[in-house]
Amino acid sequence: MSKENKVVMTKEGKKVFWRWYFLGGCGWNYEKMQGLGYYFSMLPMIKKHQNPDDQKKLAKTELQFFNTNNTMAPIIMGVDCAIQDETGADSADTIAALKTGMMGPLAGIGDTLFHVIPSTIIGSIASYMALEGSPLALILWILFGLFRAFCMKNFFNLGYKEGARIVSEIGNRLKKITQAANILGITVIGALIPSVVSAKFAYEFSWGEVSISIQQLADQIMPSLAPTLVVFFAYWMLGRKKMNSTRVTLLLVVVGILAYNLKIFA
Amino acid sequence: MTIQWWQILLLTLYAGFAFYDGNNTTFGTVKPTMAGFFAGLVLGDVKTGLIVGGTLNLLVLGIGNFGGASIPDYMTGSLLGTVFAITSGQGAEFGVTLAIPIGLLMIQLDILARFSNTFFQHRAEKLVEEGKFDAAAKMNLLGLIPQSLSRMLPVFLAVVFGSAFVELVVNNLPMWLMNGLKTAGGILPSLGIAILLRYLPVSKNITYLILGFFLAAYLKVPVLGAALVGLALAVLSYQRAVDEQPAQAAAAAVNAGGDMGDE
Repeated sequence: MSKENKVVMTKEGKKVFWRWYFLGGCGWNYEKMQGLGYYFSMLPMIKKHQNPDDQKKLAKTELQFFNTNNTMAPIIMGVDCAIQDETGADSADTIAALKTGMMGPLAGIGDTLFHVIPSTIIGSIASYMALEGSPLALILWILFGLFRAFCMKNFFNLGYKEGARIVSEIGNRLKKITQAANILGITVIGALIPSVVSAKFAYEFSWGEVSISIQQLADQIMPSLAPTLVVFFAYWMLGRKKMNSTRVTLLLVVVGILAYNLKIFA
Repeated sequence: MTIQWWQILLLTLYAGFAFYDGNNTTFGTVKPTMAGFFAGLVLGDVKTGLIVGGTLNLLVLGIGNFGGASIPDYMTGSLLGTVFAITSGQGAEFGVTLAIPIGLLMIQLDILARFSNTFFQHRAEKLVEEGKFDAAAKMNLLGLIPQSLSRMLPVFLAVVFGSAFVELVVNNLPMWLMNGLKTAGGILPSLGIAILLRYLPVSKNITYLILGFFLAAYLKVPVLGAALVGLALAVLSYQRAVDEQPAQAAAAAVNAGGDMGDE
């Protein structure tokens, strides 16, 4: 990602980054979402300008509605800092347009790459090992936190150095990584179904002295048949109208209670 | 067992910090497995904490509060579920079944906290108008108060006053319901998996889903082992995509300067 010439980040720029990293999410609200955190982070840049009118103009721009993936946001902040350093407060309109233009595409990529996929992979491994009684895999979260911080810092520098055109370039690169990460994630999900969903058929047929348990029959068809059916059921229910994850949670609790008491599941 | 004041303090502080960490630094403390582990550590029964946390974590594997959507808070659920599982001596499954309604109820408090922060946003806009830029920036920090209180307060109150309630539940819960809830706890992880199957591009990558299932169900490979196979295939796919790049780059150069394609 790096080219030969090094970025010379200003003192204010560095502050902007760390303010976002540590405190950018504090002021999250329904109206402007990350707008307050974005303004808070950009304050050192705003105060760099001498003219109070310029400051106010920029402050208002930075306080506007903003919402993107918080790992990807530093790219936009880097671009923002670079523009302010180049053209000063006259660029307020440009900055406003850039922020709105970039936050959408970056949110999509970032949520998948830095949230859904790591949560799936690390979460699966950590949960599975936790159920086996080992906390060891929790360290993966901490390693991921460090990796993410490293990425954010690089995103910020890249945005500062390359300006707005970085977005399409980094977007292309991250798309490839996302596709590869999807493969890993989906393989793990496949392995999770038989590993963590526990359901066993309880019913037994008996004719006189012969008795056959449904579970034995099921095992002959496919190991983990019951867990697979339950996953299909949850998947199917989620796709129905008027269903959301909360309702499916409650539904599964009811199904579990019924299945036990009707002697379907053990 | 009765719970000590320092244990209450640690659990309450953890709840506040985990929420901060989840929105900012992201070191995994907001994950139910971590919360369960921590609560187990504090109360001296790590195993129960890990099982409560691990089970709950599987319900929300890939879910995030994208665009401000509130999701069940199984961090808080996991902390409290572990505490009640250990103090009542009823075991991890019991903790999980208590944690689920707690996590669902927490959605309401999460909405309240995010809603309260709108007030700080308005204050900040007014202060900027008056030219008080530093004071406006402080509003962002004040946003931490509703956010962390929305987690610390329920944890504190539930740990201090909850055990009498939990005892009541334990003494009055009929056996058929108790055992039914255990079965329910076993099938609940299917929800987290189903959500991911809906979110990720599964139909395009169905091969890998089947492969992962085969490894674990037939060959009894642990999840970590299946992840390694997945990793190998992911690297392979990435390398292939990079190899194809020269051809694509040439095509892209023709319509250079175009913005990113939304999908």
